[in-house]
Amino acid sequence: MPKNQNPPRWTDRLLENFCAPHLLEEVQGDLQELYGEWRWEYGEQRANWLYLWHTIKFFRPFVIRRNHTIRPLNQSAMFKNYFKVGVRNILKYRVFSFINVFGLAVAMSVCMLIILMLADQRSYDQFHTKKDQIYRVLSHAKGSAIPNATSPFPLAATLPEYTTVEEATHLVPGAGGDATYGERSVEVRGFFGDSSFFNVFSFDLVEGDKREALSQPNAMVITRERAEALFGNEEAIGKRVEFANRGLRLLKFDFVSDPGTNPVDWGSFTITGVIDLTQYKSHIKFDMLISAVSLPALHHQEKVTDLTNNWRHYSQCYTYALLKPESNEVDLTTLLNTLVADKYADFEELVGLKLVPQSLDDIAVGQFAGNPLSLRLPIEAYYFLGFLALIILLSAGLNYTNLSVARALTRAKEIGVRKVTGAKRKDVIYQFLSESVLTVLFALGLAYLLLTLVKSAFMGLWANQYLDFDLQGDALVYFAFLGLAILIGLLAGAYPALHLSRYTPVRVLKNLSSEKPGKLGVRKMLSISQFVISLFFIVTSLLVYHQFRHYLDFEYGFDSENLVNIPLQGNDYQQLYRELSSVPEVSTISASAYIPATAMSLGSTRVRKAGNEPNEADPAFERMSVDTSFISNLGLRLVAGRNLRDEGDSNRKIVVNEAAVQALGYEYPSDILGELLEIGAYEESMEVVGVLEDFKFQTPVMEDGIGPLLFRYQPEQFSYLNVKIAAGDVAGTLAKLSAAWQRVDPVHPFQYQFFDDQLVKVNQWLGDLVAIIGFIAALAIIIACLGLLGMATYTAERRTKEVGIRKVLGAGEFNLALLLSRGFLTTLAVSVALGAPLSYFINNLWLQNFPNRVDFGVAMISGGSLVLLVLGLLTIGSQTLRVAQRNPVDTLRNE
Amino acid sequence: MRKTYIGELEEVVLLTVALLYNEAYGVAITHEIKSQTGRNISISAVHATLHRLSEKGYVNSRMGGATAERGGRRKRFFTVTPAGSRILHDIQQTREQLWQQIPAQALQWKML
Repeated sequence: MPKNQNPPRWTDRLLENFCAPHLLEEVQGDLQELYGEWRWEYGEQRANWLYLWHTIKFFRPFVIRRNHTIRPLNQSAMFKNYFKVGVRNILKYRVFSFINVFGLAVAMSVCMLIILMLADQRSYDQFHTKKDQIYRVLSHAKGSAIPNATSPFPLAATLPEYTTVEEATHLVPGAGGDATYGERSVEVRGFFGDSSFFNVFSFDLVEGDKREALSQPNAMVITRERAEALFGNEEAIGKRVEFANRGLRLLKFDFVSDPGTNPVDWGSFTITGVIDLTQYKSHIKFDMLISAVSLPALHHQEKVTDLTNNWRHYSQCYTYALLKPESNEVDLTTLLNTLVADKYADFEELVGLKLVPQSLDDIAVGQFAGNPLSLRLPIEAYYFLGFLALIILLSAGLNYTNLSVARALTRAKEIGVRKVTGAKRKDVIYQFLSESVLTVLFALGLAYLLLTLVKSAFMGLWANQYLDFDLQGDALVYFAFLGLAILIGLLAGAYPALHLSRYTPVRVLKNLSSEKPGKLGVRKMLSISQFVISLFFIVTSLLVYHQFRHYLDFEYGFDSENLVNIPLQGNDYQQLYRELSSVPEVSTISASAYIPATAMSLGSTRVRKAGNEPNEADPAFERMSVDTSFISNLGLRLVAGRNLRDEGDSNRKIVVNEAAVQALGYEYPSDILGELLEIGAYEESMEVVGVLEDFKFQTPVMEDGIGPLLFRYQPEQFSYLNVKIAAGDVAGTLAKLSAAWQRVDPVHPFQYQFFDDQLVKVNQWLGDLVAIIGFIAALAIIIACLGLLGMATYTAERRTKEVGIRKVLGAGEFNLALLLSRGFLTTLAVSVALGAPLSYFINNLWLQNFPNRVDFGVAMISGGSLVLLVLGLLTIGSQTLRVAQRNPVDTLRNE
Repeated sequence: MRKTYIGELEEVVLLTVALLYNEAYGVAITHEIKSQTGRNISISAVHATLHRLSEKGYVNSRMGGATAERGGRRKRFFTVTPAGSRILHDIQQTREQLWQQIPAQALQWKML
C-alpha cells in the first residue's frame, strides 16, 4: 500500500472530538486501514466520502465520549464563580461598566423599538382563518418604480372562473359622504363590497348576518362607532339611512382638508350589519361598506362611473383572491400572467402592465405599493431604521470589545492563576463570555427603561399619526429581546474571550510587562471607524436639517401670510363667499380648485399650439381652476396681459406662467398673448390672456424648478376659499368665520387651515427624518465618546506613576496632558481626515437627485468636524488633565 | 445463573473471532464475514458488537504492536473466552437437538 494516503484531516478531527479516548486508537486505526483499501479500490473522492460516512456511523452510545460524571458538578460551581467574579468586576470598575452598560442599553433600546414595530405590523391580518391563501392583486405599470395596490374592476369577477381561485372579492372606493338618520348625520367613508367579502376575510358582525349582509341592493354595513353616533342605543339593524356622497377619501392628511364635492343623493340604505373594526388589526379600514349590488342602479343614474367591464382603469379597486387549498402563489402568478396576455392585448398604452399577487403578510410588512388602502411603513423603512440601529449597536459592541481587550493587563494575573489551578482555555472563554452576557443583561434592564423614552419620542413623530402603531409587545417580543441581548453579549464578548484566554500562565505571571494591552493597530482602527461613522451622521443630520429649514423657509413666490384655506365641503361657493365677506376682519377672498404647493393637483395635461398635430414632445401643463381674485389674493404678479374675468359661459381664456411661455417656444411673455392653445383636458381651444410671473406651485420635494402651469376660471371646480384675514385677533376672527359658516352649512363643522401651517406640515416628513438621523447621530457620538473616555481613563490610570516621576523631574502639566493624549489626538485627526471626505461624497450621492437642494459644502463638513473634535477633546482632556494635575506625592507614595 | 442469549449478529461475529484465532481485529472480522457469508457489515457495527460481546464476557482483547499501514496505530485483537466457547457450543447443541427432532416431512414441501 503506497504511503501518503491519509484520510481528510477534518474528518479525523471530527472523530477525535466525539470518540472516547480509550477507543480512539483502534477505531481510527481500523477506519484508516479501510480507507487505504477504499482508496485503492474506488479512488480518492469516493474513499473520502466512505471515510466520512463510516466515521459518522460511529456515533454510537458506546463510542461517544462520556466524561460528564465529573463535569456537571464542577461546571455549575464554576459558573457560580464566574457570575460572582463578573458582578464584582462590574461593580469594581464602575466607569467601565457604566460605559459598557449605557452604550449597549442605548443601542439595544433602539433595536427593541424596531422589534416592537415589526412585531406590531406582523400581527396585522393574522385573524383570518384562511390568511395563507389570501392574496391581493397589485397592478404594476411598465416604467413605474412601484406597483399599485389597486387592480382593474372586472378582475374579481373573472378570477373565480379559473380553478386556482376559490373565491375573489373586491373593495371599490369612492363612497364617502354623509349618512343621515332622522335629525342625526355622520360622516362615513368606505367602500362598495360584495358578499364574498365576508367569505374571504374572517371579519365578524356584531349585529346582523354576515352571509346576507351585502347580498341585497342598498344594503349597508356600518362600524359600531358610527352606528352609535347615528342611532344611539337603538338597534341598528333594519334602520334606513339616507346617504349623500361627497366624494370623501379614506386617507386623511393633516396638510390638506378634504374639500368634498357637491353632495349627491344616493338614496336610502338599510343597515344590515354592524361591525366592530376596533377588534381587528387589519390593513382594511372603513366606516361603512355598501353592497356592491347597489352599483348598477347608481351606474344607471350616472352617479358612479360604470367600470364593470373596464380593464383599462386599474386604480379604482382593491382585489383580493382566496386560493384553493392546493394552489399557491406561483399558480396565481401564472393565472394573472395569462389573464394579462388575454385582456390587455388590445391596449397599446398599457403594454407591459403586470398583475402581481401580494400575500397578506407582505401587505403588513412589505414593499410600498402606491394608492394604498391604509398607510403602512414599507419594508424599506425598516431596512433603513434597522441599518441605523445596527450601526449604533455595532459601535456599542465595539466599545465593549475594545475596553475589555485594553483592560487585559488588569485581568492577566487572574487568568494566569486560573490556568495554573487547572482551568483549560475553554473555561476561561466561558468565563469571559458569561461576563459579557452578564453585562448585556444589565444593559437589557436599562434598555427596557430607555425604551419607554425612545418609544414616546418615536410616537411623537409626525408620520406616526398615520401609521397607527401599537407598541405594547407580547411574550414573544420579550423573548426576542432576551435572545437579542444574549446574542449581543456573545458577539461582543467573543473577541476578548478568545484573546484573553490565549495567555500562557508562565509568561503572564512571571513578567507582566511583556503582555502589551492588545494590538494597538486593531483597537485604534475600531476607534477610528466609530468616529468616522459619528462624523458621517453628524454631517448628514446637519445637512438634512438645513434641507428641512430650506423647505420651511422656501421662497414659493406667493404670499401665504394670514391666508386661511377653507374647504367648501360641497357648499355653493358664492353663497359662502357672501357670508364670509360679511366678517369685517376679512380683507379679500378668492376661490380655487386646490391649494398650491400642498401636494394636490388636478392632473397634468399636454398642451400644443392650436393647429399643430398632437406630439409626444408636447409639454405637460399643470392645471388650476381659480376665480378672478386668486392672483391678487396670493400676491402673484402678472408680467404681461390681463387677469381672468368672470365672463359667463364664454370663458375660454387662460392665464399661463412664464415657464409655459418658454415651454411652448415663445421668446417674450407678450408674444403668447392672444395665442390659441389646444389643451388635452379641454375640448375647446383656449386663448392666452395673461402671463404670470413664475411661482412655485408644487411642494419643494416634487420637482426642481418650475413647470408650465395654466389658470382657468371654472367655478364648478372650486373646492376651497382662500380667505385673507387681518392680523391681530385671529381667534376672534375664526369664531366669526365659523359663525358665518354655520349660517350656510349647519350640518358640517367648519374646517380651516392656515396656509402657512399647511406649507410647514407638507414638509414635516423631512422633519421626522431630521429627528431620526439627528437622534442616531447623537447616539453615535455619545457612544464613540464614551469609548474614548474609557480608553483615556484607562491609559491615564495606567501611567499615573510615570506621570508622577516625570512631574518630579520637572515636566509641566500641559506637556504631560499632551503626552497622554497624543495617541487619541491622532485617532481624532485621522477620523476627521477620513470621515470628512467620506460624508461629503456619500451625502452628495443622494443630494444630487434631491430637488431644491441646499448648498452642501465646506461649511457643513467643517461644522460637523468641529463638533466631533470639540467633544473628543473634552473627553480626552477631562481624563488626561486630571491625571496630569495629580500631586506626585500621592501617586508615588506607595508601591 | 441465568443463561445469557446472544443475537444472530453477535453469534456470527463470535464465530468469526474464533475462526480467525489470534488474528481477529475489526477490519479482519469485517472482511472475513464478507467473504464467508457475503454480508456487508459496517466497521462501526462490528465494533459495537465486539463491545457488547466483551461486556457479556464472551471475548477478551489485547493490544497488538504498532503497524505502519494504520498510521502507527495498534490493533486490538480479540479472542474467545471460555464463557464464549461455552455459549457457542450451547447454541450448536441446541440447534442440533432441534434439527434432529424435526419430522422429515415437516420441511419436505419447502423443497418443492
